[in-house]
Amino acid sequence: MTFVVVEGCILCKHTDCVSECPVDCFYEGPNFLVIHPDECIDCGLCVPVCPEKAIYQDTKVPPEQSAFIDLNRELAQAWVPITKKKASLPDASKWSGVPAKLKYLERKT
Amino acid sequence: MAALPSYEPGSRARAFLDRIQTAKYDRQIVNGLQKFFDGSLPEEMRSLYSHDELEALKALRGTPRDVEKRMPVKVTRHYFELVRNSRALQALIKARPAETDDLEGAPDPGRQMEYSPVEGMIHKYELALLYVASTCSAHCRFCYREELIAKKEIIRPDGTVAPKGLADVGGVVTYIVKHNEEVALAGGRHPLTRREKLREVLLSGGDPMVLSNANLGTWLSALAEAGIEQIRIGTKELAFFPARFDSTFFDMLDKFHEAYPGIALRMMVHFNHPDEFLVKSADGSYTADPDGGLVWVSETKRAVKEFAKRNWITIDNQAPIIRGINNDPDALRIMQRELRRNRIENHYFFCGRDIIGHRAFNVPIEEAWRVLNESQKGLSGVEGHARLSITHYKGKTEVVAVTNEPLAGVPGGQSGVIIFKLLRSAKDAPLKGKVAIAGRNPEAIWFSGYADRVIFDELGLFTEYIEIARKQRTAASELTESLV
Repeated sequence: MTFVVVEGCILCKHTDCVSECPVDCFYEGPNFLVIHPDECIDCGLCVPVCPEKAIYQDTKVPPEQSAFIDLNRELAQAWVPITKKKASLPDASKWSGVPAKLKYLERKT
Repeated sequence: MAALPSYEPGSRARAFLDRIQTAKYDRQIVNGLQKFFDGSLPEEMRSLYSHDELEALKALRGTPRDVEKRMPVKVTRHYFELVRNSRALQALIKARPAETDDLEGAPDPGRQMEYSPVEGMIHKYELALLYVASTCSAHCRFCYREELIAKKEIIRPDGTVAPKGLADVGGVVTYIVKHNEEVALAGGRHPLTRREKLREVLLSGGDPMVLSNANLGTWLSALAEAGIEQIRIGTKELAFFPARFDSTFFDMLDKFHEAYPGIALRMMVHFNHPDEFLVKSADGSYTADPDGGLVWVSETKRAVKEFAKRNWITIDNQAPIIRGINNDPDALRIMQRELRRNRIENHYFFCGRDIIGHRAFNVPIEEAWRVLNESQKGLSGVEGHARLSITHYKGKTEVVAVTNEPLAGVPGGQSGVIIFKLLRSAKDAPLKGKVAIAGRNPEAIWFSGYADRVIFDELGLFTEYIEIARKQRTAASELTESLV
């Protein structure tokens, strides 16, 4: 019923998706973005604009990233909405494509 | 692609935009058949499809006949609740293998790309249409924008191939201002197209009502600032998710009206069947309202009343007549009466377009005319004035009449005739009001079905279809000769 942001976004957070989203359903943490599953209308506009290819339809999330489906729901309830694009994180290019970034996720806003 | 001019709201627009409240909506959308296949849905929603129906659809996955590749499957919880007790609405929302039995159809129905001066904008008539969203809260299986919703690649007039893109505020505003300046400089008519000033714009898609209030407000104020006097919003959200029309939405409209009191808003709504807005009992009957008429779904009624309260807003309904959904005179009679009673005009009914897969949905043109004509028996003049229109690439064409008696002495008229009249024509409407007459063909679902029996055609409605039929005959006879 929704699209899901996965690990590739962590420590990059380019926010191109935010300016595409027609319903403003992205929520922002210190180094990661999530999609609120009840607000997403499944249009898929965010998928092609993500430089990290880190957004999937919930039914197509790679199995090793499936924990992000619940994580998006949980963090969307804790974090604040983001409605305008901002600069990528300073070390985005360094972290781009680096595997196993979940351990760096900062939950506190 | 050249960079689009960016849009910066002026001070009046900025003051309006800063006061818009946003709200969040829980549509409880089910997207795709996968959740029905794997059973990960609430029990009661799984029952939308039977086991056999799901197996048949599953067997087509990944093949050229995959129903979800033609048109993605999507439904809201609100609509699902209406669908449970309605065969008509099940036909509207449920995917069926028959949809891809015959994939013939036009990749770009209405040839919109020939009239697209800026990405996401179609300027064909005196009115311009904008694609502002590429999805809806739920998806009608017969959608005539299936190419946009399913993001299919379309060949453009310049030969490039790309999915249809969405309109950008800056690009649209720049085009409108420039167009209207050219019109003013030339003394009231555009030097190339002879069109008047662009006064009216339709926000379409997809459904603009999936957008946030802030996003909608940006479109409304930007179009008002660009000189547009009437803005239309084309939406099926009154059927799919009426809770979207909440107090924050009407508050945004009221603030827009305060800032731009001269702009009229025209809500172009889409109800196909009274089951989409009337309360239905388990035995299938509607309930008489002691205050008059029938009892509506409360959330839908509330939203319609809010629109009707505002004298700068009009509401018009338009809907295609689709097989198994609303080719039913009794349903259409109830719908037209109840809509008009609640301040919604019955504007157009449409014949199905020649979309990919249209054979699964289209009612024969003559049958659609009969259904609408029957439905309007028993309606008063103000209730029953909607016309039947079929969208030729030359423009919207009314199916005026179908006769039952032979037209004596006229070749082709032995079984009666069908009469078409062009209602709207591209640019400065040179063909408006012109007529075409053909011999009847009760099976015809598109203009091509009359190519062999045209009696009179002052507007060239059939020219191209006659040529196609001639080429097909030549090719067939060459094939026969080569086989002999």
